[in-house]
Amino acid sequence: MKKRHVQKLVLTSGFLFLGLNLPLVLLYDKPEPVFGLPAAVAGIFLIWLASVVISFAIFKKYDD
Amino acid sequence: MTSGFMILILLVYLGLLVGAAQLAERKQNSKWTNNPYVYTLSLAVYCSAWTYYGSVGMAANSGLEYLTTYLGPVIAFPAWIVIMRKIIRISRVNKISGIADFISLRYGNSRTLGALVTIIVTLSLLPYIGLQLKAISETFHVVTRTSDAGSLLGDTSAYVALALAAFASFYGTRYGDATQKRRGIVSVIALESVVKLFIFLLLGAYVTWGIFNGFGDIYQQAQAIEGFREKTSIGGLEGGFNWFFYCMLSLFAIFLLPHQFLMTVVENNREKHLQTAIWLFPLYLLLCNLFIFPIAWGGNLLVEGGANADMFALLIPMQQGQELLAILVFLGGFSAAVSMIIVSSIALSTMLTNNLLIPYGLVRSLSGSPDTNNQRIVRSRRIAIFVIVVLSYISYRYFLQSHTLVSVGMVAFLVVAQLAPAFFGGIFWRRGSMRGALYGILAGVAVCAYTLVVPFLLHASPSGFDSDRWTGFLNPLALFGLDYLEPIPHALFWSLLVNTSVYLVVTVSRKGNYRERNYAEMYVDIDQYITHHENAFIWRGTAYISDIRKVLVRFLGEEKSSRALRIFNLKYNIPPDTTMADARLIKFAENLLTGHIGSASAKILLQGVTKEDKISLPEVLSILEESKENLAINRKLRATSRELEEISRRLREANQSLIQKDKQKDDFLDTVTHELRTPITAIRAATEILHDDDDIPEPVRRQFLQNIISESDRLNRLIDKILDLERFESGRQKLMLEMIDLTDVARGSVEPLFQLIRSQNISLHWQTANQVMVMADAERMVQVVTNLLSNSIKFCKKDSGVIRVGTHVADGRAQLWVFNNGPAIPDAETEAIFDKFYQSDNQTTRKPVGSGLGLAITRQIVELHQGSIRVENQPDGVTFIVELPIFNADEKNTDS
Repeated sequence: MKKRHVQKLVLTSGFLFLGLNLPLVLLYDKPEPVFGLPAAVAGIFLIWLASVVISFAIFKKYDD
Repeated sequence: MTSGFMILILLVYLGLLVGAAQLAERKQNSKWTNNPYVYTLSLAVYCSAWTYYGSVGMAANSGLEYLTTYLGPVIAFPAWIVIMRKIIRISRVNKISGIADFISLRYGNSRTLGALVTIIVTLSLLPYIGLQLKAISETFHVVTRTSDAGSLLGDTSAYVALALAAFASFYGTRYGDATQKRRGIVSVIALESVVKLFIFLLLGAYVTWGIFNGFGDIYQQAQAIEGFREKTSIGGLEGGFNWFFYCMLSLFAIFLLPHQFLMTVVENNREKHLQTAIWLFPLYLLLCNLFIFPIAWGGNLLVEGGANADMFALLIPMQQGQELLAILVFLGGFSAAVSMIIVSSIALSTMLTNNLLIPYGLVRSLSGSPDTNNQRIVRSRRIAIFVIVVLSYISYRYFLQSHTLVSVGMVAFLVVAQLAPAFFGGIFWRRGSMRGALYGILAGVAVCAYTLVVPFLLHASPSGFDSDRWTGFLNPLALFGLDYLEPIPHALFWSLLVNTSVYLVVTVSRKGNYRERNYAEMYVDIDQYITHHENAFIWRGTAYISDIRKVLVRFLGEEKSSRALRIFNLKYNIPPDTTMADARLIKFAENLLTGHIGSASAKILLQGVTKEDKISLPEVLSILEESKENLAINRKLRATSRELEEISRRLREANQSLIQKDKQKDDFLDTVTHELRTPITAIRAATEILHDDDDIPEPVRRQFLQNIISESDRLNRLIDKILDLERFESGRQKLMLEMIDLTDVARGSVEPLFQLIRSQNISLHWQTANQVMVMADAERMVQVVTNLLSNSIKFCKKDSGVIRVGTHVADGRAQLWVFNNGPAIPDAETEAIFDKFYQSDNQTTRKPVGSGLGLAITRQIVELHQGSIRVENQPDGVTFIVELPIFNADEKNTDS
């Protein structure tokens, strides 16, 4: 795998760190439920799922 | 549910595990045990009984914080491609068998550091293993509706613990080399991961849709729960800070927990498997977490107050009368606990023997035969496993009864996190020193003890923890007045702050050690040394190969040692009669021994048979610098050599093509000469007869003259065609492009040949579209159709010949095709027939008459029009298909 694509994965980790922590995590910590789950949980699950999809897509597309 | 029945189920389940392990060990290289999915699932040992029961309890009692246990790893996973790959590479080339080996080797192969790490990790992990036993015991009593009899003999978990210790010691210590892959254990853990996830999802689906009416319904009803909003929120800025530290804690844990290190690093047999783990493992964790809230809220709503929320996963199905589901959930939780106990006990036993027992005692007594030594090592690991499990059991029976699953797990995570500065500093910072690491870890653990373990133990004591007695800046739960963090984040913050500071300050304030710096270089720049890592080891002194060989034989045996040394000599091109060992062999031997007895003991043994001279740090640095330059030059040379190889390959190809062209040219000249000579010979013969014999009868004379004329015409046509071909090939032929209808051209071209077709009894059919407009040179297109038709007339069956001509538009291209019911063309010749003067070797396709240039000219004309020509064999004949770029078309098939 080329260095450039490896960096994409490291960047994903960076974004996950930002998206799942202070202060951004408080942005979606709302009282209204989303899909029958607390908004914070739904938001976290969505980011979590996105990280799975992004990692999978990067390996699928750029793996040598 | 009776206890006897449950014990029977447990026995059957354990029997299945043994069967699976046995099968996997037997099929070591099967793709069923060696694939990225089994590897990924084996990492799910992370989801212990804590996940199964503790997360639900935490979600029910306090809210979202349980999620942080998984968010840390989720954040780290994509970056594993850099960090974990590096750790795996370092461990592979140095034959590292555990986290203590990894850290101690980096800091100059320090025996002290290895022992310290082992002690700290073991002490923190024992209660964590005890926690799993506690979960097994409690859930057993819940599902059988019995209570703890209080006696050791009546406690099922005691027997389970012993059975697991026997299982782990049998399958976890089969080989003297601790880095040897344990396929049986890995496969069993992967299997258990599937079992626990499946059952947990089953329970989640049952609660969500079987008892309630989906997520929304549970959420609606759960709003009545006391403190619901607080339990579904991160808790503002203050909660956010706690959240951050909890995330950090689990992020460190996924790298540093010894059982996790064993599964991720030591048991990794292909680096590529990491790629699957990076996306699949977070997905697994996501699925594990999907139903925790519904189960936690469902428990709060359904189970009577006062029940232990940790047990909701079991209590709900039992309360609903779903005995079978309750048994399954118990088995799922049992799987989760069992995985953790097995892997942790193996990881800890390897560390205890390789980093404590052997280097501090046993190493001197390992002087017998290889078999005896290996037996002693394996036996010591087996005893260590039993000791660990028994101590864990004691910790659960006598210290952990009053604590929840989560709290004990968190303390274990916290203590293990103290290895983080030394661990991450070690792989990214060259200067990080052994003393820095050692003092840093000690200071960190001391702060942990003060801020957490003291209140924790006091809390467990009969008098309890009285916070009023701990006021001021020394309050262990609010050190220096920092009172807005919960105990675990509070302890993590202060301990890591002190730990990291000590590590950094001690490192920069002391002169570096050459051996530490040497290993630091190998760790930090592992990618450079991955293939010839022995080159990076710097050692100067006197050592005899025969002495080193003797040490190797003590553990590897005669045959393996000889083979290893032979491979080493081949790798570095060393003559077999060499007597003195160099640095590379010392490192090579150290690696071979490390798997068996740990890096510290390997160093001790080799020091006993070698005499090392002191080297100064600047000297080491300059050698390393030189070695790095050499490596860079080597890499450059390899790249240049690859380029040269590529260029020479292309030259060879070009040369081959030139030889082929030269041969074609010779063939062409031969054929042209032959083709020209045939009519000339005929003309000359006829002319000579006419010249020599004046008495030739008039009709014969006329016949000869007619022959001369027709042969001259043939000669003329041949020369015209050769000139035509030459014009096309040289690109001098200009096209007069205009919009023409291919159908018109086809029909028009047939007229001059109509008589010939009729005379040979050939039936001609049309399958043309109304209009197939193309931009082409009309005259040249007529030549194409004429050539194809002439070719078909020559080859189609005598007396029952059939020719079909068609035009149509397909896939945005205009097509003209000519079919004849002649013999098929061999596949190997479908390209060659378009070559000049091509004559098939196959007599059935040999051209009966003609110049041999028709198809070659046709291809040149078509290609000049940006089109293509090919031939396809049909069941009853052959079709030539010409494709040209379309201009416009209105398809309407007609048949005449």
